[in-house]
Amino acid sequence: MKKLLLALLVAAGAAHAEDVLHLYNWNNYLAPETVKRFEAECKCKVVQDYYGAMEEMLAKLSAGAKGYDVVVPTGFAIPPLVKQNLVQPLDKAKLPNLKNVDAGFMNSPFDEGNKFSVPYAFTTTLVGYNDAKIKELGLDPASWAIIFDPAVLAKIKGKVTVLDDSRELFAAALMYNGFSANSTNPEEWAKAKETILKAKPFWAAFNTQSYIKELTLGNIWVAHGYSSDMFQANLDAKAAKRKFGIGYVLQKEGNTLSLDSVMVLKSAPRPDLAYKFINFMLDGKNSSELTNMIGSGNPNAASAQFVQPDIKKISAVFPDAEAKKKLVQLSALEGKPLRELNKLWTQVKTAKKK
Amino acid sequence: MAYNNNRVSKWLISGPPLLYLILFFAIPTLIMAFAAFRFPGDYGGLLPLVGTNDAGATALLVNSENWRDYLTLENFGRFFDDPIYIELFVKSFWYAGITTLSCLVLAYPLAWLIARSPKKYRDLLVLLVILPFWSNFLIRVYAWMIILGPQGYLARAANGVLALFGVGPVQILFSHFAVIVVLVYVHLPFMVLPLYANLEKHDMNLLDAAQDLGANTWQRFWRITWPLSLPGVFAGAALVFIPALGMFAVPDLVGGTDGFMIGNLIKQQFLDSRDWPFGSVLSIMLTLAVLLLAAIAGWLGRGGKRDAL
Amino acid sequence: MHFKQNKVLWAIAGLVYAFLYLPLLIVVIYSFNDSRLNAEWVGFTLHWYHVLFADEQMLSAARNSLVIALITSGIATFLGTMAGLAMYKYKLRLLPVLVLTPIAIPEILMGLSLLVFFVTLNFTMGFVSITLAHIAFCIGFVAIVVRARLQGMDEALVEAARDLGATPFNAFRLITLPLIMPGIVAGALMAFTLSIDDFVITYFTAGAGATTLPLQIYSMLKIAVTPEVNAISSLLMLLTLALIFIAGKLAPGALHAE
Repeated sequence: MKKLLLALLVAAGAAHAEDVLHLYNWNNYLAPETVKRFEAECKCKVVQDYYGAMEEMLAKLSAGAKGYDVVVPTGFAIPPLVKQNLVQPLDKAKLPNLKNVDAGFMNSPFDEGNKFSVPYAFTTTLVGYNDAKIKELGLDPASWAIIFDPAVLAKIKGKVTVLDDSRELFAAALMYNGFSANSTNPEEWAKAKETILKAKPFWAAFNTQSYIKELTLGNIWVAHGYSSDMFQANLDAKAAKRKFGIGYVLQKEGNTLSLDSVMVLKSAPRPDLAYKFINFMLDGKNSSELTNMIGSGNPNAASAQFVQPDIKKISAVFPDAEAKKKLVQLSALEGKPLRELNKLWTQVKTAKKK
Repeated sequence: MAYNNNRVSKWLISGPPLLYLILFFAIPTLIMAFAAFRFPGDYGGLLPLVGTNDAGATALLVNSENWRDYLTLENFGRFFDDPIYIELFVKSFWYAGITTLSCLVLAYPLAWLIARSPKKYRDLLVLLVILPFWSNFLIRVYAWMIILGPQGYLARAANGVLALFGVGPVQILFSHFAVIVVLVYVHLPFMVLPLYANLEKHDMNLLDAAQDLGANTWQRFWRITWPLSLPGVFAGAALVFIPALGMFAVPDLVGGTDGFMIGNLIKQQFLDSRDWPFGSVLSIMLTLAVLLLAAIAGWLGRGGKRDAL
Repeated sequence: MHFKQNKVLWAIAGLVYAFLYLPLLIVVIYSFNDSRLNAEWVGFTLHWYHVLFADEQMLSAARNSLVIALITSGIATFLGTMAGLAMYKYKLRLLPVLVLTPIAIPEILMGLSLLVFFVTLNFTMGFVSITLAHIAFCIGFVAIVVRARLQGMDEALVEAARDLGATPFNAFRLITLPLIMPGIVAGALMAFTLSIDDFVITYFTAGAGATTLPLQIYSMLKIAVTPEVNAISSLLMLLTLALIFIAGKLAPGALHAE
């Protein structure tokens, strides 16, 4: 037994001896062919560790986990990483390809001047739907009413899921009520909570994990979710030769936009490889491969020419200037407001069916 | 001399597991449980007690004057301020209780039969109980989602029968029922195995003697088998009830909008809300409730044994 | 025992086995399903096994899980049996609490605690930290089963052996150990099962580049848990079963209470 343990220790130690870039990322968030080309170019190995939720990653890094070089957080997770001193400022001289990023995605409120972060990809949060059913019932998916208005929901009771995410759901409810998605005004939050509680009896579940599958199967007709997931659901529906497709549109009241960025951790064992990787990913073609694989939005201006035309046509993935105005990034909540939302969310989750 | 020898062997036997659990469980957990008395950091984690002082050196920030800024009982106050938390505890205990009872009802006959089957088949039958649980948890729950889902045979059959009586289709997936079914499924082997381990040693001569004295099947079961098997029942109940109490994945996946449990709440504190102190408070409360329950059960168990003897 | 009443009991037992195996049947059947969705039957294919054998990361994750589960169940069974014996023989205060608390405490708190602990000690996270954590939460399960087996056991046999001049160790090896073996085996099986399927504690105690099967699979949740996971699950079950049978052949009677 001891020998086996020792052998494992040695094996674990040996893995660090060669040139390895440790990437802490979502699963399926980097195209395999991109990895292969990068490995050839840097003569190193890319090892990815995955997280299933941004909060898991934050908790683990907050507790002091080390060994990762690059992490890929969503906007609101950037300030906690910066304030907890977990990431290092970027040396822009080592990132010549930074010029490729669309100026509209730089200088986000999370990281003014992009001292720590470089935009990687984005998704919008919207409503995806079973196009045949919605047409049949004559519903309008371009308004948040489809998940919040009891009169509309009565026709699709038990066939709707919403994200199991307090920020996203409250943002949608706030926008539906005509407030800012980033409002922290207690009265407006109370109103949003009211909206959610009225709609809750009509929902099948809070679901962040399996709505792609449920939509494709036809078990669910309307889902509140991410644009890239709806893209996947539509592909799956086509592959399964369904009689319906999965449509997805932005809502007229406004939508949230999640911009994911790459950051270098302070404890990175190999910052040199981290810079090489980030600069590599800022190349237009390399960056386009992710978009072509999962239908994510791309903040890289140089990638446009490499993106498949049918993806570029989707307005929810590549919003035009007019639509862009209505997209909001969720701000980072801290301290009191975060705990207040936590309490509201617990009340929403525990409210009994009437 | 005999006393001394007893002391030595007591430490020889209890020492290694005790040491291991102190080092790799008690010490780490106490550090985190202490978080219940601290303030959350503004950006997650905890408000640091150690940091850079005005002189720029690393030092302990908390001292006899400012300790109120660093240590608090307020987090416990929050727990009692809102009845929501106690209600959630009650709900979770209720679910775990139903799960434990259902597991006991299903597991007892099975464990009893395995214990009474010919020796050469016993290991195989035990192995067959646990084998399905070496496949991945998620995949097993997915399989239940297929079985219980609206396209599944079970739901279709049930709704077909209901339709005969003019009752509209019911949703099985995303319901309380689904949560209980999957909770029972996930925990069943942890009831069967302790029961089996206990029942396997029962002396058949006792039962034969009872039969000779004219006791019928039920009398023999209630008077002999059941009291003797109580340690196994308690062990199984503990290994099902306690883990079921803190479960969050099952309610998340099959519970629908009403499937929120104490485990989900605790997860929410540590992850979504980044409020480790309150997460620790909830964890401490849950653990204390379980230990209290175990103490009561142990006390009742001792009483039960005295009656049986 | 009357055969008639056994028939009723066997019928119930049969239903319970069916309850246990219905989902497993679906797991295995769907590993041959020609659909990415893992939700409805489309047609037969070996595609997912091809995908699996080309997926180095998934295979190594499965290997890690198996090795960690084997080591964990070995050590946890050893320590847990001692704890169970100690709790049965002596009136202890601390040990019963320490045995029960790891089962009662929310996994997420235990995972974070261990992570903070290992970081404080500057311990490099990886297989060793995962295994140490798994052992900590498995000991209790073994101890509780072993104690349940011991309770109400006939002490006369052990005392008789001691009277005949056997050393305490020999009395234990020849009398007590065989008597409690079914409890030990049940405990070992539970420890193995808990370790190979653990996600939360493993997530927090895993280091960069150390992936286990549950970690790999949970990260697929968001996109799709494809039938590749059914394939690796099916194969892993077969492999474990084979390992147990080989162990049974090499050491016949090891599993039996003689």
